[in-house]
Amino acid sequence: MSMNLCTDLLLLQLVPKGRIASVTYIAHDGAQALFPGADAGVAINHGTSEDIVNQRPDLILAADFSSPTPTMAKTLAKQIGARVVEVKSADNFADIRKIVRQVGDEVGEPERAAALIAHMDGVLADLAAHPPKRQLRVVAWSGGSSVPGKDTLTNAIVTAAGAVNIAALPGRNYSTFGVEELLAADPEALLYGGARSGKPSLHSDEGQHRVVRQLYGARRVAYNEAPHSCGLPQSADAARDLRRALDALPERRPIR
Amino acid sequence: LKPSSALPSRVISLLALAALLLAAVGSLFLGRVNVSPADLIAGVISPHLNLAGLVVTELRLPRAILAILVGASLGLSGAVLQGLLRNPLAEPGLLGVSSGAALGAVISIYFGLAHTLPLATPLLGLMGAMGAGALTFAFGRGSTLTLILAGAAVSGLMGSFLAMALNFAPSPYAAYEMSIWMLGSLSERSWDHILLAAPFIGIGIVLLATMGRAIDALALGEAQALSLGIHLDRTRILALIGVGLSVGAATSVTGSIGFIGLVAPHLVRPFVGHQPSRTLLPSALLGAALLLVADIGTRVIPTSSELRLGVITSLIGAPFFFWLVVRLRKMAP
Repeated sequence: MSMNLCTDLLLLQLVPKGRIASVTYIAHDGAQALFPGADAGVAINHGTSEDIVNQRPDLILAADFSSPTPTMAKTLAKQIGARVVEVKSADNFADIRKIVRQVGDEVGEPERAAALIAHMDGVLADLAAHPPKRQLRVVAWSGGSSVPGKDTLTNAIVTAAGAVNIAALPGRNYSTFGVEELLAADPEALLYGGARSGKPSLHSDEGQHRVVRQLYGARRVAYNEAPHSCGLPQSADAARDLRRALDALPERRPIR
Repeated sequence: LKPSSALPSRVISLLALAALLLAAVGSLFLGRVNVSPADLIAGVISPHLNLAGLVVTELRLPRAILAILVGASLGLSGAVLQGLLRNPLAEPGLLGVSSGAALGAVISIYFGLAHTLPLATPLLGLMGAMGAGALTFAFGRGSTLTLILAGAAVSGLMGSFLAMALNFAPSPYAAYEMSIWMLGSLSERSWDHILLAAPFIGIGIVLLATMGRAIDALALGEAQALSLGIHLDRTRILALIGVGLSVGAATSVTGSIGFIGLVAPHLVRPFVGHQPSRTLLPSALLGAALLLVADIGTRVIPTSSELRLGVITSLIGAPFFFWLVVRLRKMAP
């Protein structure tokens, strides 16, 4: 049983459906974007203690960040004899290797985990062996809010793609990155998360400022948010997709 | 009605206009990106695409104009409503139009309409404000008291729908964005937002500006106003339409911004005397200046994430409430 979106997406890749007690109710959109149909027929949970009692899993996968496993859930898990495994979030590809191996071991699928890691490392090695002709300066900006800087998975993906994340450069601290700062930083492309998890979001409106449309209308690269927010083997595929999209962009003159 | 200490209305209006112009100039020169005034001017004049020119013409100028329009709407609406309802606590949110606009905008975020249609959020906000205003009028016409009660009921109803939208938000991000939107902001607003809101705000302001005589008569009491030839029902409808159009359009593009409509008339009243019509123009000008200053504050106060405009106006406005209470206690017999 998984009680977090990121562990949902790992679990769906590591074990056959028949062994999954449930994934969270928000797993469907992420799964649909990465491996359509993988969650079909899998029961869902809402991360509540009652779900634990109803579904009586042997193992509970949970995140160790933002939503620590509640004491009540831990107590109930102990009472029904389920082990609770807290999985750390990933900020880079080394973290991804670590958590894929950890979950693989916990669910008794170490070979499958190793295969997923090998696929990821293969993609990363290929990207490193063929650096891009132009190293573009980019930023993951979806309008009016914080942007991922250094020590984030998005930064690792951008770097692996052979681009430079201007929000992670030394001396830069763009925790909020309005249109003014965006114009001043003058990136060559905007990475655009768009509607997060496929659900409506105001970002899609704020990112439509007319000056941004005018300057970056054809230089916005949309990306799927799941492998950027969750450390997954597919995060390497996201870097490969980003490389392709950036390579396809035409040359641009800076605003000065 | 006019105390001996009162200054000529024109002097106060000129002072408020001077404050507004000063704030407007500051708004063009101050921002997150530090560009010297000389570079900004050179950038605007230059025929080539450049950072300073873009920052002024596409970001700071529309933002300042929107702040002026929204602040003037709030200040003028507050002054008209305080005169019309003869209540010092009256403010534009009282008639339910602000919460109606907020609900419309939140519905747009909820269903992701902004994704398919740019400006869907302010457009739905405008429709929400109109709907809420119509509902207030349908239930509240007849007397001042019923209008206030109907406004409170409509605000409550819109508030419950807002809470429901947050409760059933399609994603945690959407819930967060709805809450943040309701805190009010002028950042990332462009000429598109002005083109959408300005016609409604303009009509609303013109309607409200014509109400001076009626609210002066109402200051004497409803019976006296009737005897002076004031058509009470028509006055209330015009006020509701004026507030609905101006504040509804303003809220739909900026989110909820509290206290400006309450504070501006009170700040000018000691200087112009207690004749309601004399507060209208200075309140509009001061409301615009106050909002500009608050917006400059959101840009220059160094915070890790954007300090929202509604938060600043509330932080200034709440102590003002205390001042109002103390002042009223001193004035009480």
